[in-house]
Amino acid sequence: MKEPLIRRMKDLPSTHLLGAGTAMCAGCGGLGALHQVHDVLGAKAVFVNAAGCMTLLTTYPFTPFRGSWLYTSMASAPAGAQGVRDALDILLDKKRLLPADDLSAVVLTGDGAAYGMGLSATSAAIERGLDFLYLCYDNEGYGNTGQQSSGATPHSARTATSVGERGYPGTKKDLFAIWAAHNPAYVATVIGAEPLDLARKIETAASLRGPRLILALAPCPAGWDFDPAQLVEIGRLAVHTGIFPLKEFRDGKITHTLIPRTRLPVEEYLSKQGRFAHLFSPWRNDEAIAEIQAQVDRYWLNAT
Amino acid sequence: MPRALLTGNAAAAWGVRLAEADYVPAFPITPQTEIIETLARWFDGGEMSGRITMLESEHSMVTAAAAAAATGTRVFTATSSQGLLYAMEMLYAVPGWRVPFVLVNVSRGVATPITLEPDHNDVLAARDSGFLQIHCANCQEVLDSILIAYRIAEDPRVRLPAIVNMDGFYLSFTREPVEIPDPVAARRFLPPFAADAIEFRASRPISQAVAVLGSSQYSYFRYEAHLAAMQALTAYDEIAGAYAAEFGRHHPAVEAYRCDDAEFVFFMMGSFATKARDAVDRLREAGTKAGLVRPRLFRPFPVDTLRRLLLGKRGVAVIDQNISFGKGGVLYAELASALYGQTGAPVLTSFIGGLGGRDFPPEEFYEMARVTRRAADEGRAPEPRLLYTAGELREMRKLQAIALVERRELGDAP
Amino acid sequence: MKTASCILGDAFFAEGFEVQDAPRYGAERRGAPIFAFVRADRHAINERGVITRPDLVVVADETLVTVAAAGVLQGLSDRTVLLINSAEPAAVWRERLKLACPVVTLPASGDATERAALPHIGAICAGAAARLLGVISRASLETAIAAELAIHGANVVALNREHALAVFDALAPQAGMVAEGCAIAVTDQAPPQWIELSAETAEIAAPDIHAAATSVRVPTGLWRTLRPVIDYEHCNRCSWICSTFCPDSAIAVEADHTPRIDYDHCKGCLVCVSVCPPHAIRAVPEHAAVEEPCRAPS
Repeated sequence: MKEPLIRRMKDLPSTHLLGAGTAMCAGCGGLGALHQVHDVLGAKAVFVNAAGCMTLLTTYPFTPFRGSWLYTSMASAPAGAQGVRDALDILLDKKRLLPADDLSAVVLTGDGAAYGMGLSATSAAIERGLDFLYLCYDNEGYGNTGQQSSGATPHSARTATSVGERGYPGTKKDLFAIWAAHNPAYVATVIGAEPLDLARKIETAASLRGPRLILALAPCPAGWDFDPAQLVEIGRLAVHTGIFPLKEFRDGKITHTLIPRTRLPVEEYLSKQGRFAHLFSPWRNDEAIAEIQAQVDRYWLNAT
Repeated sequence: MPRALLTGNAAAAWGVRLAEADYVPAFPITPQTEIIETLARWFDGGEMSGRITMLESEHSMVTAAAAAAATGTRVFTATSSQGLLYAMEMLYAVPGWRVPFVLVNVSRGVATPITLEPDHNDVLAARDSGFLQIHCANCQEVLDSILIAYRIAEDPRVRLPAIVNMDGFYLSFTREPVEIPDPVAARRFLPPFAADAIEFRASRPISQAVAVLGSSQYSYFRYEAHLAAMQALTAYDEIAGAYAAEFGRHHPAVEAYRCDDAEFVFFMMGSFATKARDAVDRLREAGTKAGLVRPRLFRPFPVDTLRRLLLGKRGVAVIDQNISFGKGGVLYAELASALYGQTGAPVLTSFIGGLGGRDFPPEEFYEMARVTRRAADEGRAPEPRLLYTAGELREMRKLQAIALVERRELGDAP
Repeated sequence: MKTASCILGDAFFAEGFEVQDAPRYGAERRGAPIFAFVRADRHAINERGVITRPDLVVVADETLVTVAAAGVLQGLSDRTVLLINSAEPAAVWRERLKLACPVVTLPASGDATERAALPHIGAICAGAAARLLGVISRASLETAIAAELAIHGANVVALNREHALAVFDALAPQAGMVAEGCAIAVTDQAPPQWIELSAETAEIAAPDIHAAATSVRVPTGLWRTLRPVIDYEHCNRCSWICSTFCPDSAIAVEADHTPRIDYDHCKGCLVCVSVCPPHAIRAVPEHAAVEEPCRAPS
């Protein structure tokens, strides 16, 4: 692989490809990740979208993309990417398309589609060896409809459909592991709060061929209940408490790209979000907090 | 060109091959699977150049088909019944993309109960989707209709995907004589796909199928898709005429058999309509002025042609091979609305049969004609009739006895 | 605004009116402008949808009035009462907007932006509206506030009630100035301008955008109630931090590493304020910022 372009913070782009003026919430963590990703990927992409918050990025006649866009449905964005990629390859083979006019297919979905309804289409696309990038902005719930619980909702979180004092009873599905089990070309977790890590991973992904899947944790002011100004702080805490590991899968191996030297206690992350307020007030739920801490501790014990 | 014996599925595959389709996203389902197997063989063997990709569901398959068409390739796909229903979200979504492709539906009854034999409930469930619909009565029509469908779908006035429907088993697995057009002539009739402005190219950014907020804006796009479908009426006539000029076979939007001086007309679609032709001949011999009107084009619905053919007739027996629970036959409602209030509108009788491939023996056609004559004489139509005989019910009771007897023998105790 | 419409709806209902109330979201996003409507009638209400001929319009955020896209003045007639949450006098607004209809301003003090962002602004609007309508009693207003806000606890209810009643009492001179509307007779209603739509080419008749980055025409800067302002004397010219972390691509960095905030689009999330290491960005209420143009380095 050639020497990466983005080595230091100062290599990060200073003007941005993704246009302003979108309908995403002020302080949207998904948008924060996407606008960084778009800069590295460039304009020669067609973003193939599944139903979710970002469907409203593009509402007639407004689009923020310098490249192209195709809205499909909630469950079938990877199939849409398959159709686009196959067609481009056919046109290239038949010399009906100049190589300069070729595009890369980028699936853009939220966690609702990625962890649930769209998982079958994703699985099949990887299995077929589709040459595409998949970017999932994970705000840990069905955000566009008001933050109902999804397969990505973490244990104990309050959502619109889990409002009891224990919060969400389920656990967060390990989508990274599910994707990696298919042995695709590349899988990585990223977050907008760590731009250098994100940029390097997107650069790596862009240099490879085959199925490449990126999972971006997208802290969500509306859904997680925090002041939008805290977006980057929440993201840093997700990483430095060890709750959101930054890692990549390649050639059968998993590498952690940022290992917190000393992991902060999970409650520093949890206490800053209204969706976990019931763990602290009216009384401290030590048991639940300890359970979350233990889960994180277990992960890092096995990982390193 | 000489004629060969081909099944409907083989004829469909030939239609796709002559159309030089670039891309076939596929998923198997009885009774269409032979089509995609044949195409796969031809792509592998080089008889066709392009690609066939197996998708993991029909919903994904239709998505991939439209996405590839939106990228600028000529696309074909096929399905039936449960598969068509599984794709239904996308069947409704993709006509609005205004990209053309052809989908062959091999019609098969829908669950519940699950079955394999044909009727029209599957394809008619898509009637509001925006897909054009052409219904075939024999294997020759299947091949011809695919070429015709591509040219209509790709016509700049239309730009909508099209379903070509053939009945499962009765056409899909039945061999009939079919003339395979010469490929050079086929290419003359159907030039290569021109995507015009709707395609993905790095040099020309485009956002397709975007969300639209606002009722007036949404209405505009929906009305335009409807108007485009209506344009297909004119386009169909022109293109079917061009096909006749090139290949000598004319498939007008509506088949009219011995209709001119008919007093009573059978009205039905699909392969069973050929049985009606025989019934017409026998009835004529017996002194009844019978005829047959068979729409090939169902969407758009050829209202003007049907009025021209049917106004002034005494009675029309509408034969539906489908059922809308709680209402009755779909074809009946469609025709009634086209003729209502028109001068000389005939009395309409409604018959529902053919479900799950249930046959129409000749005596049923004669009885339908008799009922329609009586209705015309009295100026009043009877209630719609579900076609079923005493003998069939007796057989059903025997099966029910078996299905129930075990429980009685074993009783409720574990 | 949803709270305001629910309180008003409840109050009307308590007074024996038939009621229909609903919120309407513009961009359905936190921070974007929203409005709500209330219909009240002595008989069953058959009409639906957005109100086209309002009898009373209540504006909580005055900065939206002059924004055509927000549609605040849509459907106003000479008899519509316009109530604006503003420190400026009503006469100034009538002159500025060239209005023939009556204008009333909410008698409150303090910064406009801050007032619009107050948690009890809904109750204030409902209280003011109730007084101007004249058909809602003090008691019904109190009951409505208690019912709608009970879920937030007794303290919140008390605070809202206090503010709403203060406004209700202060507007005594204008009590009942909103008159009930009446139905328009068939003959007075102009016919619709129906046209025959013609089929157009797929290129324009498909919901496709044949261009890049047209979103820049959407002034999401309107969402702000606070704006970030860069103090260029303390800015380190790090060249990347605020620009990278701004989710909306609203901060660009020039060749000499000077960051520029695009105020047409900045939504006021204030992430940049949080991340700037030397704290060279501060948050300023939008209303005050409009009056003092931000100084860029010469």
